[in-house]
Amino acid sequence: MPKRKVLLAEDDHMLGSLLKFRLERDGYEVVLEYDGKAVKEKLQGEIPDLVISDIMMPYFSGIELVDHLRNILKSDVPIILISAASNDENIVSAFEMGANDFISKPVSPSELLVRVSREIKRHYCT
Amino acid sequence: MDTRELLTHLEKLEYGLDSFSFSELKSAEASKLKESFEAFKNGLEEKVFGLPISDAIQTENPVNEKYDFQEGQLVANVSHEIRTPLNGIIGFLDLLQETHLNPQQKELVNAMGSASKNLLGVINQLLELSVLAAGQEKFEKVSFNPANLVNEVSFLCKTLINGKQVELLVHYDENIPKYLLGDPSKLSQVLLNLTGNAIKFVEKGEIRLHVHLKEEKNKKVFLEFVVSDTGIGIANEHLKHIFESYRQAEPETKLKYGGSGLGLSIVKEIIEKQHGCLAVSSTLGVGTTFKVILPFEKVQIHQDNENKTDKTKPVDISGKSILVLEDDALTQKLMGNRLEQWGCKAYITENGLFGLQLLESHHIDLLLLDMHLPGMDGFEIVQRIRKNPKFKNLPIIVLSGDAYTRQHQNFEKLGISDFILKPYNSEELLEKIDNNSKQMEQKIEEILVEEVEKQNEVVQTVDLNPILEECLEKTELLDELIRLFEQNILEFIGKTKMHLQSRNIQGVGFAAHKIKSSLKMLHANGLIKICEEMILECRTSNDLERLKTLFEDFVTKYPKVEMAINLELKRIKYKL
Repeated sequence: MPKRKVLLAEDDHMLGSLLKFRLERDGYEVVLEYDGKAVKEKLQGEIPDLVISDIMMPYFSGIELVDHLRNILKSDVPIILISAASNDENIVSAFEMGANDFISKPVSPSELLVRVSREIKRHYCT
Repeated sequence: MDTRELLTHLEKLEYGLDSFSFSELKSAEASKLKESFEAFKNGLEEKVFGLPISDAIQTENPVNEKYDFQEGQLVANVSHEIRTPLNGIIGFLDLLQETHLNPQQKELVNAMGSASKNLLGVINQLLELSVLAAGQEKFEKVSFNPANLVNEVSFLCKTLINGKQVELLVHYDENIPKYLLGDPSKLSQVLLNLTGNAIKFVEKGEIRLHVHLKEEKNKKVFLEFVVSDTGIGIANEHLKHIFESYRQAEPETKLKYGGSGLGLSIVKEIIEKQHGCLAVSSTLGVGTTFKVILPFEKVQIHQDNENKTDKTKPVDISGKSILVLEDDALTQKLMGNRLEQWGCKAYITENGLFGLQLLESHHIDLLLLDMHLPGMDGFEIVQRIRKNPKFKNLPIIVLSGDAYTRQHQNFEKLGISDFILKPYNSEELLEKIDNNSKQMEQKIEEILVEEVEKQNEVVQTVDLNPILEECLEKTELLDELIRLFEQNILEFIGKTKMHLQSRNIQGVGFAAHKIKSSLKMLHANGLIKICEEMILECRTSNDLERLKTLFEDFVTKYPKVEMAINLELKRIKYKL
């Protein structure tokens, strides 16, 4: 089976590196981008199998990203958002816009992996 | 003759500078580079064209010899004065290379770099020759293992062959005593030069390096070194000139093979000053043979070295990351090969600034440092490293060609951990690396015990175990994450400073939010508390002064936390 492609948008290089490492260990192909602009450019080329994005991103927030994917690119790719715990109202609007799941900071990589595999199963194996 | 050589390089440099757009760069480096270059050019012209040439024309009188000596002195002085600004040029070119250049600019800068380095090479050789000719060179008398030396030379030369169908055959006479007294660094210079030359001129065939015990008389040992090749050969009429400075057999040779033409003159001086002799014979199209006979002294009873090196306990330094700052391409190659063989990760560069950056960005266990580097010299590099408390315990081993560097009183004071005299054999190198690493680990352990005691008082603790677990116990990844963490902190400090100045409270809150997640990953509880207070402050009272106080508190406490992180990291890495 070909590797599932994950686009990871995280501007904290430390967290990004850790999550990339763990996702790759679990057999995903990971592209890590550090800002919203780069993410948008990447999506123009190809839509991955799953998108993980921090909500607070430079240039282009995670919420804007959800809007862009669902309404401009018309894609139903699973999206998991990473949020700082205090942004409750953001999360509600993110769900309304079509985000599939979220995880709050500090992110536990193991928990994220479970959420990722659940979204993949839900979306591609039913 | 030398003038022409220098000026050719200069022209190339000048051409590079002319077509280079300074207006596009506008950087301080560019103008400094230009200044440095102009100073160099003016100095050179003044020195070279200001020579009292008329004096030299008066031949056939005893003044002539004195003049030769003076000329040697003059060359030595001029070379020194050229070298300094030239080192400046090379240093700034290196800096320039790290700025954003378009491909065309990059090519031009590269061309200037290689022209400058060629020029430096010529000047170094010129200086060496003049020092030798003036009889100012002091030859050493130390005990060395000639078999090891020949081995190292042949290893180095083999790396030079690179792809050519050339075979280097070494024959070493077993009757040669194991240890001799003499100048090993000069001997290896002679052998490297002769063998290296042969490799340069042979396209296909064989090169032989034979070493025989020629004679043993009283305390003296005469060794004969024969370097023969199956190369293009040298015509009889040119043969008698080949040891003259700036002579290559035929003008075309220079074009084809490069080189300053000083190498053989240096070899000849080295041999004659040690009361040895050098002979050459050649047949066009068949090959050339150089014969060297050099006297050495016997070593009576050899010191404890014998059992020290022959000890059976294998030394293991695998897994170490070693930074090598060395400008000689051959040594770079040799080091790279050796370190790789021993299972080390080697970072090799000749650029001091780049080396310092590598230290900051990578985990390095030990530094091997050549003191004579283009641009920033070894002493400055050591100084800069020791200035940073992070590298207080980094072992720095200096590689040096001259014995008197070792007598430098301030060696230890400067922060140099150990010393290896060139040429060294691989066993020596291995042992030094091993010893110094062990010493460092011991030191760290002592510090740890001390610090752990101290830490009971310090509130700012960290816990790296959870993140290590998330890294699946991969310490290299943890290392990398800590490095990224430190960058995050620097970014936070910089951004917050800026936001506080511009009274951008929302910006401060955002930055504090970001760094809080990073701090949480390392469980740096003391700093997390400060961040939380800052976030709260931004959301509620917007008191700028209070925010400033909190931020200052963060900045003063952070170094202690950083230290705690590094200690934890070392504890984990060395399983203490």
